[in-house]
Amino acid sequence: MTDAVFRETAAEPLTRSLPLSHLSLELGHLYMEDFEGGPERLRRHFESVKPWAEAARADATARAGGKRPRISTCFLIDDYFTRFSTPAEVVPVLLAEAERAGLVIDYLARESGCAVADKVPLAESVAGRLVESPPPGSYGLRPPVGQTGWLANGVRTPALRAQAMRRSGAWQPPQETAAHRHSVFLDVELWDDKDGHRTWSCPFLAAVWQLTRLGLLRNEGEPVFVARAHSSGGFPSEWDQLAPLLQLNATAAPFNAYRTCSVLPSRFLPVEHAVRIILDQTEVDAGALRQVAERSDREGVAVPDSVADRASYVFYPGW
Amino acid sequence: MGTLGRTRPTTLACGEVRTCLLPTSQALDLRAAGHVLRLRADERVLASERPNLYALSPDTLMGVDCALPASNGAKVRAVGTVVARAALTEGRVLQAGSFFRVPDTGPDQRQPWGHYLVRPGVVEPLGKLPAQAVAEGLLKGGRPGELDPGLIAEGLLTRLLRHPLLDQKSPFKSRRTRLRWVALPVPDGHGPSIDFTVAEDDLRTVRLGIPEGTDQTAVVRLCEDLALHDWLLTTLVRMLDGSRFGSADGPMAVLALRPAVDHLMHLWMPRARVDRKLSALWEALEERPGFSRQWHTLVQRIRDQMALQAIPLLREALTAR
Repeated sequence: MTDAVFRETAAEPLTRSLPLSHLSLELGHLYMEDFEGGPERLRRHFESVKPWAEAARADATARAGGKRPRISTCFLIDDYFTRFSTPAEVVPVLLAEAERAGLVIDYLARESGCAVADKVPLAESVAGRLVESPPPGSYGLRPPVGQTGWLANGVRTPALRAQAMRRSGAWQPPQETAAHRHSVFLDVELWDDKDGHRTWSCPFLAAVWQLTRLGLLRNEGEPVFVARAHSSGGFPSEWDQLAPLLQLNATAAPFNAYRTCSVLPSRFLPVEHAVRIILDQTEVDAGALRQVAERSDREGVAVPDSVADRASYVFYPGW
Repeated sequence: MGTLGRTRPTTLACGEVRTCLLPTSQALDLRAAGHVLRLRADERVLASERPNLYALSPDTLMGVDCALPASNGAKVRAVGTVVARAALTEGRVLQAGSFFRVPDTGPDQRQPWGHYLVRPGVVEPLGKLPAQAVAEGLLKGGRPGELDPGLIAEGLLTRLLRHPLLDQKSPFKSRRTRLRWVALPVPDGHGPSIDFTVAEDDLRTVRLGIPEGTDQTAVVRLCEDLALHDWLLTTLVRMLDGSRFGSADGPMAVLALRPAVDHLMHLWMPRARVDRKLSALWEALEERPGFSRQWHTLVQRIRDQMALQAIPLLREALTAR
């Protein structure tokens, strides 16, 4: 029998794979008010983070099944909601304070990179991947989340007008879809549009941040939010001149990882609850998901199926 | 963990394809097709030029949690995601389809949503699936509130037809067709089987018997290919239906067939992208009722009529010399 092979590359899907660590450990978020608090505030932050970072490392070691775990650390600076100071001024102070606490920041990320990184509109891409958790009774007729810009973990309270048409007219409670007897209902604003400009919300960008760390996003099959090595020189005077993701430590383990752990002050709890709701309703790149599953399987590392369960947190007391 | 997306073996796959003429005066090139079918900002539209121009959108998902239709009235609640995607052939024929597969059993309770999102295109029953009854129910169409893949396909089609690149000027009138299909596994040692029914006006139902281990994408592609060619045949039959070739207004009747020549006749290409393992099913349909036989007869008829109409014109031209 004659066998012929004919292929067209444009007709076949492709997903490039990424090197993966066991754990991506986030040592904090920096907002303008943190920086305005001076080096002392950063010092207190890193001092609070230190023991929990150690604990996260110990946990990752226990999970690595006797092997030395690959752990990379990262730090996120908000240059999206407020632009403050300059990288040349901020980054050296930040690194010095981390070092003083005995912490090494391997990768430095800018929050605006979670919106658009190297011309790739990451946030918009993730918005196109939201698949809402269907409340019971959903049979295929639902407006896409893209129209409203809000994402909930259940069924909202019906609007007043709709209620007026009900004979009882009684208030209807919202309902969390995955409730354990009682609901913890949350409705998350993903973005707002003003004067033709879309501003992504903090939880939405934080969800994108988690997905990039987990290595589960691609753009047309290619990796996104790729780390660039830091040359030995100083830091630029404009945030836009700083790479969205900068590798500060040349010997660091890969940025992307099977799991993430973020050590944050407890004021971030509501934001990260919202992040979990977004992660739980995002369909990540299927090829990337498969690659992570196959690799972790070969390595004998347990990775939860559910993407939201791959992110963990430590909330230390403080503001 | 290695259990990612791992579910029980599929006992039932189902879907619906809606096929229509793209409402544009000119057929779209692959570039424009890429814009129309770009359902996701970060995923490519797959484009193929051999053996014909074909573009396929990325898959999108819709979450469902509802009853599956069952012919015996059994109540089967199921939760999961249905895939919706679209294809454009030769920049002319648009297809929007949805599909999902169902394992023989599922968890007794609804799981956290993340469980379903890593199993795209799988709808899990709560408990055991009465496969035969549900297959019948799906083919017949359910009651309001029961899972309806047609609704999801229609939603996607409506969204695509609003695309600004489409000038809404169709070169001729035609109707949409719907092809609803279910696939059940055949016993070991048996080959694939097909049961194609022209149900109502625009509805076709297809029941497939598929050997275990057949790639689901291959089944979906086969059904899309069947739907495309059934639409072509249906459209051409309707164009010729009631044509008064032999009468005094014969020349006008032949002129009315011009859109078929301009837009349809080059589109017939069965099995262009059908998996070899399933092409036996196409061959069975070629045997009876003979899709290609009917198509080629119709095409030959159009060509003969065109040639007949050209003879007087030729004669006029010669005598005018």
